[in-house]
This record gives sequence, structure tokens and C-alpha cells, in this order.
Amino acid sequence: MFQIVFVEVAYSGALRVPGAGGGAVTVPARPVEALRPPLARRAVAALPPYLYLLPGLACLAVWTYKPVIEAVQLSFYHWNLLPTSPRTYVGFENYKRVFTLPQLRGAAKNTLWYILGLIPFAIILPTAIALGIRNLGGRSRTTYRALIFLPMLMAPVATAAVWRWLLDPQGIVNHALGLGSYNWLREERTALLAILAICAWQILGFATLVISAGLTGISADYAEAAEMDGASRWQVTRWVTLPLLRSTLLFMLLMTVLLSAQWTFPLLDILTQGGPADSTTNVYYLLWEYGFRSLDSGLASAAGISFFAVFAVVAALLVKLADRYSFADN
Amino acid sequence: MSSMRTSRLRAATSHSMLALLSLISVFPVYWMIASSFRRPQDLYDQSLLPWPLSVGNYRQVFDSLDVVGLLGNTLVIAVVTAAGQLVICLLAAYAFAAWDFRGRTVLFMAFVATWLIPFQVTMISNYLVLSNLGLLNTLAGVIVPNLCSALAVLMLRQHMQAFPRELLDAARIDGRGSWTTLWTVVVPNLRPALASLSILLFISAWNEYFWPALVLQRANSVVQLGIRGFLTAEGDDWGAVMAASGLACLPVFALYLVMQRQVIDAFVRSGLR
Repeated sequence: MFQIVFVEVAYSGALRVPGAGGGAVTVPARPVEALRPPLARRAVAALPPYLYLLPGLACLAVWTYKPVIEAVQLSFYHWNLLPTSPRTYVGFENYKRVFTLPQLRGAAKNTLWYILGLIPFAIILPTAIALGIRNLGGRSRTTYRALIFLPMLMAPVATAAVWRWLLDPQGIVNHALGLGSYNWLREERTALLAILAICAWQILGFATLVISAGLTGISADYAEAAEMDGASRWQVTRWVTLPLLRSTLLFMLLMTVLLSAQWTFPLLDILTQGGPADSTTNVYYLLWEYGFRSLDSGLASAAGISFFAVFAVVAALLVKLADRYSFADN
Repeated sequence: MSSMRTSRLRAATSHSMLALLSLISVFPVYWMIASSFRRPQDLYDQSLLPWPLSVGNYRQVFDSLDVVGLLGNTLVIAVVTAAGQLVICLLAAYAFAAWDFRGRTVLFMAFVATWLIPFQVTMISNYLVLSNLGLLNTLAGVIVPNLCSALAVLMLRQHMQAFPRELLDAARIDGRGSWTTLWTVVVPNLRPALASLSILLFISAWNEYFWPALVLQRANSVVQLGIRGFLTAEGDDWGAVMAASGLACLPVFALYLVMQRQVIDAFVRSGLR
């Protein structure tokens, strides 16, 4: 079936040429074509890009946009996901619960902690390291790059397993720190910190390499010009390099804000299940539990839509803010 | 003289910073491998070098898990997902790069916006669809919903826009259709970009955790869930758990060893834009 569609694509793709190139030189070779009403011919000529987009758009429609619409619908109902049980319309009841449930408020607070806690490891420290190493050349640089990047490639379950072993009461971390048999992941005080540390370990190298690449993209001329004018190394960094690096840094910030809750998800699922006493859970993990453990699809959908809206607003604000600052600088 | 000294000092600082960072990055990976080769009775001995070496942990993993089956299933999922994403997104990127058409911006935004929509918003209804189609607990159920990747469309479109227009026009003058042009002109010229993108897509699919965990509830399906099951069942048998984790990372690490530069470039480019 695809074969047929694509033969048509090739055919109409060739048809488009006379129209675009001006002069219907090749068309008279086929008298039938010339007799076609111009509107239909133009429609055929306009078709190819849409046909190329079709498979991708179909995937998006079926697996992304239709589910979003259905999530909005579900959020107004009470339903336990079983085909046999009825859906009851409950209006804004689910949304009211989203904003009043203490469990969700705790999860939102944890999510905020994850975001704030990861910013130093996704932006500040990587920027400092990238600035520090930018003059290193050659082979040593390649080796460091290769080593630093390794955590990013590790399967999430393997990462979780290794860290659970490192942080085991009898593991090497306690051994090295001389802490006896402290259980990092089972104590309310340290569980969130432990998850944060593992996540930081995963993204630090990646962030450093992204920011390093951003630095290489900046022409050295600006810094040289500033140095000629007598600017110190720090002044050049602060007033020339960092502003030019802004779009890279903003991108990392956006990633951190939007994806912190996703990055921590597998760790939560494997290491703590959100505990102890909900001290590590984040908004998405709780949502998953509502949906697939408590089978409260309405609440899960309402929470999903709400969090999505909040994240989207924050992202839009960040982009806008960056725009304004870039104007101030220029 | 003094400027030479400061620059040497600076280089030394850079090196020590990077060495420390590398050590932090690599140590857990090393510890995984080291623990997996310890004899079971030496496990809690925290010496940095495991000695004497033993493959007992691996033997135990192979005895209690269908390792080959797990790796095979994961490989099928990762390869088919990456290949499907590559073809579908190649076609879409081609449409965006080679034509001006009505609704182009809106449709492009429709692709980009999927990057913002969290998986957790769509999971319930996708789960229901798969369950209605009878695709739960099948590999197809993991693959099919992930066949379009916004990232791939973005990256390929970028590469294609940098592609010289004259070549496309020449092909057109030769009377080649757009379909032939895509496969005989565009794709051969994009080979490096396609290669690094396919590595990125393969690794992402291999490491995907969330969706397989939902669709394949059995532990004996993909390697990620296999380890998770093992972790709950064997609890503190760390030697065996580390051996299983090492096996799960092996294909990606092997790929990394061979194509280190392409892997890093692909990931870093995905983070630049």
C-alpha cells in the first residue's frame, strides 16, 4: 500500500517542476494532462510535501494529540480504567483535588527542590568547568570527554542498581565516610539528597560537553578585542563570553526545569518508590501512581494537565525573560 | 616568564579539575564491573581491586535470567524503533526542507511541541489503545507509539537546510521525481548525519525505561525490566545484580568504544539549538 502512495509521490513531484520552473515545456508531451482542469492539477502539484509528512503526522495525531484531548476529557470524569465500570461526570472536582491534596503539594515541593538542586550541576558547575578547560587541547581533551560522558550512556536501571549498591548500608560510600551502616535511601532526611546526587552525577558530564560546545561556537575575536582594550580575564568572561553563551545556558535551564521530574523518575521507581513517607516523590511519579496503582484516571489526568500547563507557562516566561535581557545587552 | 608560569598553572588546574570530574564519572561504572567479578564471599571486602577474579556472578545471572532472550528483545525494540523513527522523520524533514507549502509553520510547530508534552499526560489513553488492540505485553506495543521523534525531525531538517539547493535543482532538471531525488541525492549526502542520529536514537531506545515498564509487565521481557525484577527478587545479592547491570550496559558501551566521537557529537548536538 505504501508502495503505491510513493509512486504517486514521485510522479506528482515531477509534475510540479513545470509550474515552478515557468513555462509548461514538458506538459504538452502528455495531452491528457493538459486537458485537466487547472485547479485539480494545482492540487496534485501541492500534494507531495503533505504525503511526505503523512506518516509522521499520523503518528503524532494518534499517539500524542488524540491522547492529550482524551486526557482533558478524562479529567472531568471519575473512572477506574475498567471497561466494564461506568464513567461519572464530576465537573471540576478532580482539579479541586489536585490543588488541595496534601500529597500533591508535597510532590510539587519536592519537584521544585529537584529543579533547584540540579541547576548547579546542569548549569553553574558545567559552565565553570567548561571555561576552565577550554584551552586544553588535543588528546587529553578527547580522553576526558569520553570519560565524563559515560554516565549519560548507562541504562537507568543499571544506574539505579549501581548506586543502590554504592549507598548500601555496607557499601563503599559508608565505608569511605566511616558512617557505619547508614541507609541513605531509607532515611527521610537523606533520600531526596541521594536521588538528587545520582541525577547530578548523570547529567554533569553531558551538561559540561554541551556548554563546551557552545563555547567553541563563540568567535575568539570578541574576547581578543576586549583584552586589547585592557579587560581582565574575569571581565572578559563576565561581560563578553557569558552573554554570548546565553542561548546555550538558557537551553540547559529550560531542560532542567522541564525534565528534572523526568530524569528522576526511573530512580524513584527503582530506588524509593517515592518514599520514605513520600519524601522523594515528584509530580510525575505521583501521577503515575494515581493512574496505574490507584486506578484513579480522572485525578491522574487532571494532575497531568495541570502540571503540563504550569511547566508550559514557566517555560514561556523563561524564554520571554531571556528575550528581554538579550535586548538590554545589545 | 611569569605569564608562562600562570599559563602552566592554569593548565595544571584544568587537568586536575578534569581528572577529578572523570574519576567521579567513571568510579561507579568501575565499581559495577569490579563488584561483578568478585568472588561472592569477597563482596563486602571494599578493596579497590577485585582479586581473585571470578565469573561466578555471571554464571548465576545466566542461570536465573534468560539473558540472551532479554538482550535479544531489547535489541529488536531498539533497532526497529530507531529505524522506524529514522525513516518517518527523514520523510517529514524532507517535506519541511524542500517545499514551501501552506501550513508549513503550523505543522512544524506541531512536531516541535511534542517535545514539551510530557509522556505522563498521554500514557493513560495510549495504554488503553494498546490494550484494546491487544498489544499489551508485546514488543510491537513498545515500538509503535514511539515511531515519531521530534528531535530527529529537527536535526534532519537542520542538516537538509544546509544542503546545497543546486543539487536538488539539478536532479529536478534531470527529470527525477522527488522520491528518487530523496534516495539518490539527499540521503547519500546526509550519510554522516544519519549515522550519528541513528546511534542517538538507538541508544535512547535501548535505555528507555518508562514505556516498556508500562507495556511489558513481565520481568522476562527486556533487559531493563529483567534487572529490576532481579533487584527486587535477589535483593542484596549485589555481585549478581552488578553482573546483570553490566550486561545491560554492554552493547551501548561497546558501541561507545568503537564510535566514541560520533556518539558524543550526536548527543551534544541534540542538546544544542
